[in-house]
Amino acid sequence: MTAVAVAPRSGWASSVLRLRAGDSLVSSWAAVGLFFLLTVFALAARAIAPFDAVQPTGGPRLGIMVQGHILGTDQVGRDLLSRILLGLQTSWLTALLIVAIGLFIGMVIGTTAGTFGGWVDTLLMRVTDMFLSLPSTLVAVAVAASLGPSLVNTVIAISIVWWPYYARIIRGEIRSWAARPHVEAARMAGVSWPRIMVKHLIPGVIPTAIVTASLDVGAVVLTLASLSFLGLGQPAPAPELGADTAKSLVELLSSWWIPVLPGVAVMILSLTANLAGDGIRKIFQAKG
Amino acid sequence: MNQLLWKKIGLRLATLVGILFTLTILLFVLEEISGFDPAAVKVGANASPEAIQAERERMGLNDPILVRYVRYIGGVVQGDLGTSYRTVHAITDDIAMYLPASIEIVGFAFVLAVLGASFFAISSQLRWPGTSLVRGAMFVAYTTPGFLLALFGILLFYRTWKVFPASGRISDPDALNGPTGFFTIDALLAGRPDLFADVVSHLVLPGIALAAIPAVAIGRVLRSSLSQTITSDYIRTAQMKGLSEWRVLTRHVVRNSLPATLSMLGLQVGFMFSGLIVVEKVFSYPGIGLYMANALGVADFPAISGGTLVLGTIYVVSNTVVDFLQSAADPRVELA
Amino acid sequence: MSVAVLPEIAEAESPAGPLVAQLKGLVVSLERRGVRSEILHGVDLDIAKGEILGVVGQSGSGKSVLATTLLGLLPASSKPIIEGAALVGEVDMAHASEAVRRQVRREHLGAVFQNPMTSLNPTMRVGKQVAEAAWTKDAEEAITLMNRVAIPQPAERLSSFPHQLSGGLRQRVMVAMAIADNPDLIIADEPTTALDTTVQAQVLATLKGMRDTIGCSIILITHDLGVAAQVADRIAVIYSGSIVELGTSRQVLEEPQHEYTKGLLASRLTLTTKKPPSRAPKPVAEVDTTGMSAKAAQKALEQARAKLRRPIVEMVDLTCTFKVKGPAGRLVDLNALRGVTTRVYDGQSMAIVGESGSGKSTLLRAVAGLETKIGGDLIKPAQAEIQMVFQDAGASLTPWLRTESILRERLRGIGREQQDRMIAETLERVGLPQEIMHARPKEMSGGQCQRVALARATIIPPKVLLCDEPTSALDVTLAGIILNLIRDLQSELNMTVMFVTHDLAVARFVADRIAVMYLGRLVEVGPVEEVTRNPRHPYTRALLEAVPGAGIKLATVRGEAPSPVNPPTGCAYHPRCVFARPECAAGDIGTVLARVSDEQHGPLVHEVACPHYADLKPMEVVK
Repeated sequence: MTAVAVAPRSGWASSVLRLRAGDSLVSSWAAVGLFFLLTVFALAARAIAPFDAVQPTGGPRLGIMVQGHILGTDQVGRDLLSRILLGLQTSWLTALLIVAIGLFIGMVIGTTAGTFGGWVDTLLMRVTDMFLSLPSTLVAVAVAASLGPSLVNTVIAISIVWWPYYARIIRGEIRSWAARPHVEAARMAGVSWPRIMVKHLIPGVIPTAIVTASLDVGAVVLTLASLSFLGLGQPAPAPELGADTAKSLVELLSSWWIPVLPGVAVMILSLTANLAGDGIRKIFQAKG
Repeated sequence: MNQLLWKKIGLRLATLVGILFTLTILLFVLEEISGFDPAAVKVGANASPEAIQAERERMGLNDPILVRYVRYIGGVVQGDLGTSYRTVHAITDDIAMYLPASIEIVGFAFVLAVLGASFFAISSQLRWPGTSLVRGAMFVAYTTPGFLLALFGILLFYRTWKVFPASGRISDPDALNGPTGFFTIDALLAGRPDLFADVVSHLVLPGIALAAIPAVAIGRVLRSSLSQTITSDYIRTAQMKGLSEWRVLTRHVVRNSLPATLSMLGLQVGFMFSGLIVVEKVFSYPGIGLYMANALGVADFPAISGGTLVLGTIYVVSNTVVDFLQSAADPRVELA
Repeated sequence: MSVAVLPEIAEAESPAGPLVAQLKGLVVSLERRGVRSEILHGVDLDIAKGEILGVVGQSGSGKSVLATTLLGLLPASSKPIIEGAALVGEVDMAHASEAVRRQVRREHLGAVFQNPMTSLNPTMRVGKQVAEAAWTKDAEEAITLMNRVAIPQPAERLSSFPHQLSGGLRQRVMVAMAIADNPDLIIADEPTTALDTTVQAQVLATLKGMRDTIGCSIILITHDLGVAAQVADRIAVIYSGSIVELGTSRQVLEEPQHEYTKGLLASRLTLTTKKPPSRAPKPVAEVDTTGMSAKAAQKALEQARAKLRRPIVEMVDLTCTFKVKGPAGRLVDLNALRGVTTRVYDGQSMAIVGESGSGKSTLLRAVAGLETKIGGDLIKPAQAEIQMVFQDAGASLTPWLRTESILRERLRGIGREQQDRMIAETLERVGLPQEIMHARPKEMSGGQCQRVALARATIIPPKVLLCDEPTSALDVTLAGIILNLIRDLQSELNMTVMFVTHDLAVARFVADRIAVMYLGRLVEVGPVEEVTRNPRHPYTRALLEAVPGAGIKLATVRGEAPSPVNPPTGCAYHPRCVFARPECAAGDIGTVLARVSDEQHGPLVHEVACPHYADLKPMEVVK
């Protein structure tokens, strides 16, 4: 094949990642920018929030822009915007934390299994597969329910079911890099094993790890919101997006925005995460 | 060859049993950690510590952990999942009552998801004009939490347009009595198309809320495996033979695009089960999801554990079936 | 370089007889990654009934676009803009409607593509795919077609899936599909590139046979002038989108007009290519002792003799066994090396030749220390004294590291300044500009990557340099340059070279000695001229006959090498050997090398594993 052939597949970007011809990266970078903006925003939520998020600061069910409450108040009279901002902070930072934990464990297990191979690989991957073949969110619900409602427990519950996914992917990447001749070439050049791992294997996994993780933040945000909706997050009266919706469901037909707006905040987080994930994928592809 | 096939099937089934075993261990350990004390529940809230202790002894809760696990697994095998703290019924009975409703809604959502996925993939592959907007909307739905979709559905279709009901399985809960527990089937058996329509209209909103995310997840996989298949060399060979496009599509493209999509389908069943808890709660739809949601509210761990075990088993079994289907679709995939 | 068709050639060579296809001023431009470029700049070509036209060009020359245009299969995603016409019969495949093109493909065209594995539907049974090409559901028809392309036991293959067939069989299935419904024209796009040499010869013979039996025309697209020369009646040489030379095969090969064709011919290695003199230690007889005292002469001779026969790598009964997944999903042993005993002498160059599955790469990797599951004895220099260059140079360089870091890795513990000096020297030695230091592999061409790989291997000159098909992924002209570079480095740095290749012409060019492997064993070892001019083992002969080149009859070797998992008993080659006798299947016959007895021994012995070598008729001399 010559000219009509598809662009040669570079090993650098994994084969899952493929670039459509001529795609501009402007929107991708914009999405990534949005992601960081959201993170900064989440970190500064407490400073931005106009009111106390836990204490009632006005009458209940105030409408939008009433008495200085930009989004009104909830059924108890707490400022909705402030609650959403702080809930957003918790959701976003927790989601990032869970992905980071999952990625870390997955990285350790995946690289260990991938580089050592043999029985270490078999053992680790059996355990991983065992976890992967269970319905993950359901297990997370059971774990959170058993540990009792708290933010830490939620993080534990989701992290427990989240890492195996990364471990599998990273192990697979490591194996495919390790099978490339450049690793043997490095061995022939007299490079030590630890150095081969650090210099010749792991850098190859990083793009995939970053792309996978960033595509995943949205899913974690949604899972967190579901658990919170089911009452498995922080106990009341802490502001939590899912829980705030769940607790104000009865308001739906009269003051719809009270249950809906926290959910919209979740959607914004998840949408941003997904767009940024796609953007990062495209950027890596273009680099690849 | 045949013997080999049976051996592989046997091996796969053994794996299945192993996974279910792990699930029971996990749930047993979680029940230990949860600090839920069936004895305390049994003797009542006002009982003295001594009375609780005596009851614990009587129920064998002070036995070594291994003994208790064996007793637990023995119960599970015989269909005994313990007693719900909230309903004070045998959990097995509770679940048996709620399961048909959940299977009905998941089945409905599954069909919606597959249809949605096919539309998503095929419309973008063939670049149908005007569909990119629909796909964009689907993508937004994909990033929306299930409960929010449910709320939007209620606000639009129930509150504003009044086309679909917002809660329950059926308008008149006493209208149908068996025999299957699946209201759609029961309504047809009873020769009541009006009830059938009523049941289906109750399925629509929760079904869409449940199907939105899987539709896009499956659709994306289907799209990429379709486009990969279509650009492959053997499709060029098929075109070379002068086959019509329809024939190329049906005989060469579809089957080769299936395996990846099938495994995503299997994964999404699990997603729907966890979505079930949220969606049934919002719509007060009387299924296992609502049962578990209510149990969560009062820390009724045995009920949660029982529900998880039953849904988990269905999930693991359906993924085993997917594995078999996958190896049937692709002669290169070996079962193991 | 001129891209226009030389008028006198175009005029001189229009074919005899009625035309089945005709390219008229074909200009094709395609869009790739948003960039539009013209791939073909006005190609005129006539294809007569019953002729085989070879279209020869390097990668990127546009030869595949030419084929795809003629098939009417340019992907819409590349937004082709086509001027001129690509006529098949009366139909312009460049501009006709899809329905018409489809009908032409069905009734008048057949095609064979490069990679038979990916060109067959992996989930459809072979019989069904063949029947589909014949527009029938009749299995008998499929069997007939498969019979015609000499697929053994076609009835049993009907229900096979492509992955269960060997590469050669898969390509025969493709040919069977191409000849279904007796097409007027078969377009074969690099049909043998993915195949072993002996199998390549068989498939070419099959294609040629189809022309002779059903009278179809064939367009054979290839990068290898030799392949075209072997079967084509006429050859068109295409260079960057234009036909630069067109003539009968003989004309093109013997009196090339265009500089590009001349260059191609010059850089092509054949069994008769003039070889630069070896710089290996001179055979004793050639040591120049004139002007020496008798004693000094004696000493010089002894030194020469000692040096010539000083082994640097020695293998005794070397074995290597892998565990692989067998057909039943069970782990089975694959004996990649089944007792290899030989020596590689200091300062010489030994080529190890064989087809895929012969164990040649395993042997090299064992010497490299990359295979650990080896048995028998292997004596070799310290690990640091052995370096290796790999087949896929691009993949042998770590993608995210710059050349500089890659080179410095071999220089750890050496002072920075000295490192810099060594890097500069080495880059110059392998003919790379100093700026390449800052380039990553994907920013370099294939040739540059292989030079960097050579630089890494030789920055501290090793005693032994191992080369695993270092040029097989490169275009002809580039391959020649790299081979010359390896030879130069060898003599300059006084290295011993072990060179693995499937190509006897390459082996002859680089090596002092050749070792031929078949299914994990050596079947013939000897000085390069001996082995290529007077091969003693039937397999070596088959390999030599299969080397593509004009005027050489197509090889007669049967079948394909069986799986190394389950090699034949006795002499592993006996099932394919045209000289096989009943006793060849038994015992350890043909497994041990013995010195060839009927020759005047040079300083390097010639050994062969076939005990009947003396009875074989001498091979027709390769011209």
